[in-house]
Amino acid sequence: QRERRLRHLRQLALGQGDFQLQDSAGIPRRKADFLGRWVLLYFGFTHCPDVCPEELQKLSRAVELLERDPALPPVQPLFVTVDPERDDAAALRRYLRDFHPRLLGLTGTPEQVRAAAAAFRVYVSAGPRDEDGDYIVDHSVLTFLVGPDGLFRDCYSRSRTAEELARSVKGHMESYEPLPA
Amino acid sequence: AARMAAPTMEERKACWGARDEFWQCLDNHADDAAQCEKLRRAFESRCPQQWVKHFDKRRDFLKYKRKLETEGYVPPEAAGKS
Repeated sequence: QRERRLRHLRQLALGQGDFQLQDSAGIPRRKADFLGRWVLLYFGFTHCPDVCPEELQKLSRAVELLERDPALPPVQPLFVTVDPERDDAAALRRYLRDFHPRLLGLTGTPEQVRAAAAAFRVYVSAGPRDEDGDYIVDHSVLTFLVGPDGLFRDCYSRSRTAEELARSVKGHMESYEPLPA
Repeated sequence: AARMAAPTMEERKACWGARDEFWQCLDNHADDAAQCEKLRRAFESRCPQQWVKHFDKRRDFLKYKRKLETEGYVPPEAAGKS
């Protein structure tokens, strides 16, 4: 399990995980904009029946727990949509106001979103539309931890709790060694 | 058709609540859906159609998982291999 995870992480680090998206205020954002900060990033969509709200709740809670420790640097939580057709800036603003106040939403053109998901090796598959035009987007459920140097440090599945996430992030922060220049 | 906005937090919770009530009824009646018509209709009215389908599949999966855990895996047809 651990081997597989480390292999995945190494692959991801090689892929750099860059993205070119826009946040919920319409401002262009790329991965480089977040250098110097720890980032917890989740891919999802606002029409998600249950998994995304649960994972975002968990993510928000984990960030809150980390905020309680004044010795730790702040974490930037990010939400990247896998449903750019419906999740524009306004949709993101509406959706994310129920979660952590600093949770930043990112969207873009279908091509930009596709590229971001590919960079993170996140599976995305939009299902068939019903007569209302509604559809579910099947996607990998993962929260990624990116370090201040922009490299992947960990990824967390659905089975991890908020407390486990916070503990793990704290561990990474405390043992963090920036790569030599 | 006009694009529907995503359900709000309140709408999500109302949907999940209706689903849980329906599932509780099914649990109480050994999955006899006929005994839970009213709650089924409430569930369908509180949730987007796509979510109803999604939760129906989830229920089937959970039942199957429970079956595996209690009865173990039974291959569909032991093809008479000796």
